Amino acid sequence: MAGANIDLLLIGVSHKTAPVAVRERLAVEPDAVAAALAELTALPAVREAAMISTCNRVELYAAVDDADRASADLAEILARRAGVAVSDLAEHLYQHRDAAAVRHLFRVASSLDSLVIGEPQILGQTKQAYDAAVQHGTAGALLRSCFEEGAFRVARRVRRETAIARNPVSVSSVAVDFARQVVGDFGRKRVLIVSAGKMAALAARTLRTHGASLTVINRTRARSEELAKVYGADVADWNDLRGALVAADIVIASTGAQRPVLTLELIKEVRKARRGRPLCLLDIAVPRDVDPEAAKLDGIYLFDIDDLQKQAGEHRAEREEEAAEAEALVEEELGRFVKRWRSRQRGPVVSALQAHFHGIARAEVIRVSGGIDEKERKARLDLAESLVKKLLHLPMTALRDDDPDEALSLVQALQRLFSLSPIAAVPASEEAQAAGNVEKKATGS
Amino acid sequence: MRVTCESRRARRGGKSGGVSTLTWHEVGAYAIAALLYMAHLVGLRRGPEYAGRALLAVGVALHFADIGVRCYHGTSPISSTPDAMSLVAFMIAAVYLLTSMRYQLAAAGGFAVPAVVALILLARLAPAEAMAPAAVALPEMGRLGQAHILLATLGVAVFAFAAVLAIVYLFQDRSLKRKQLDRVVARGTPLETLDRLAHRCVSVGFPVFTLAIVTGAIWVARLGLLHGRGTLRPEYLIAVGTWIAFAVLIIARVGAGWRGRRAAWLTLGGFGGTALVVAAYFIRHAV
Repeated sequence: MAGANIDLLLIGVSHKTAPVAVRERLAVEPDAVAAALAELTALPAVREAAMISTCNRVELYAAVDDADRASADLAEILARRAGVAVSDLAEHLYQHRDAAAVRHLFRVASSLDSLVIGEPQILGQTKQAYDAAVQHGTAGALLRSCFEEGAFRVARRVRRETAIARNPVSVSSVAVDFARQVVGDFGRKRVLIVSAGKMAALAARTLRTHGASLTVINRTRARSEELAKVYGADVADWNDLRGALVAADIVIASTGAQRPVLTLELIKEVRKARRGRPLCLLDIAVPRDVDPEAAKLDGIYLFDIDDLQKQAGEHRAEREEEAAEAEALVEEELGRFVKRWRSRQRGPVVSALQAHFHGIARAEVIRVSGGIDEKERKARLDLAESLVKKLLHLPMTALRDDDPDEALSLVQALQRLFSLSPIAAVPASEEAQAAGNVEKKATGS
Repeated sequence: MRVTCESRRARRGGKSGGVSTLTWHEVGAYAIAALLYMAHLVGLRRGPEYAGRALLAVGVALHFADIGVRCYHGTSPISSTPDAMSLVAFMIAAVYLLTSMRYQLAAAGGFAVPAVVALILLARLAPAEAMAPAAVALPEMGRLGQAHILLATLGVAVFAFAAVLAIVYLFQDRSLKRKQLDRVVARGTPLETLDRLAHRCVSVGFPVFTLAIVTGAIWVARLGLLHGRGTLRPEYLIAVGTWIAFAVLIIARVGAGWRGRRAAWLTLGGFGGTALVVAAYFIRHAV
């Protein structure tokens, strides 16, 4: 992609290069985004700026006129924010330029650079970062193009065309998926949480967000009530464990007991009383809380921590496999983006060249056409236009060459030879308008 | 319907066994939909599922038009074995399509839609001698005979759909018991939903099948009285056995909480009995 001439500079830190102690000092609160963006665009070498700030990364994207100078200035800002010297922060910083910076943005938005590959939040965070830049007027033609036409498009394709985000990779999400496959929608389901420990609290939070009704049961009622208060759950008495199991659709067990709390006999009794209703048991305790023999009973679906971790591991491996396909999509879209961008850069020069030659031809025809009738004058003008078109055919073909280096050097040569206006990177709509203006000038209308 | 269809057939010289262009189109739509549903089952992308459902809708619409055109040309949908099979296929496809709009049933589509294609191909392409016409000509059936065949066809279709759901249930159950949240299971219908839908199908199919048996019994008795054909045949016993199996399933579910795997096997057994009755009927008249 050498010679693509995309003036994008990325500088930042992520979970791959910096510990959380560094990242948290660089993180920018939503309230401070406007000031931070203003500070970036106030730098002389920076035309446009956007900033992605999440718990796993802080990245500055800037359209720059002088990449070296902008890089030094941005590093200085980050170091000041972290309260360290630039040299101390340097070991955590990474930077990419031109197409490599675009590629990085595409990978970030597609969740290929995330701690958990395929996680869905990063796309939303990238959109928020871009929206903030647009809202505060720091996003111009380049960033608009990189984010809107590039990053978001790639991310959508990756999610649609690969299985990168299909299966959950966290133990709690796998547990939710298993439970859903047994009992269906959680809307009218009752989840019984046996114990009130930390793991149970995590599971309760996950299921609560899916709309399940919660009941907490614990040997110590006070602890149950504590958790119930936080998650809006009901509390059941330990003496009524059997009744609570009969009423539940999903059971999450995570007590610290050394022997199974939910014995085979108890589950057999419960199963009989449930009259065929299936029961999903999620045993996330070590040692286990549910007698493993219960898994053999009809209508009882038991998943212990090993089952959940094994499944999560398989899903992670699947995502790694899908990541290769996603990387190919990123490269495909990057190639398309660079080509489109290059074409936009060439557009104004091509138009200017055509206008230059057509203008000369027209002026010469008008100069030598004094005293002749309109019909003859029009015929001469048509002949001149036709000659110009034929003469420009080969140069135009060469300018449309796909080789970026070749095309760029030709553009530069033409600018120098014919004193054409400098290359302006403009969005497609503005480009069309500009081309129209050039045409108008050329025809004198 | 009898008078209308028969008189039109007489006027237009309509035939029941020909394969029209419309039929080929409907088979094409169903076949592509079946492939897409199976691709979804294996590849698990959302695209094939949506495309499959759209094509299935096209297939159902064409099939409905096909049945309508055949009826207009004088061929009742229950006047011959191929037409009755085609009607069963149409009902399975339509019931699946409507149900899949409410529930996530893509996995069931991988079984139901290929079954629809197989039924239509069997109906339309099997040699004529293997597809003997109904034992009694349509005019001879009378209203009772037509009601019996229509109800039996409807009952078979509903039970067939329940059987598809039972098969999917057993696959899902096995995967979950093996602690596999594989691609098929992850995209499948929850066990409880499959169980509930299969039960609903049986609950709808049972009274229909009961009426089919009652009308069939009366019809056969009348034919026996009229034509001396009143012998007790094995398919009658199988039909009664099937009816008892479904009755047990419904009563045991309410009374003893028979659900899940047991209910799925009983549903499959019941449908197997229904299929045997139909097969025995056709084989008897083909020989």
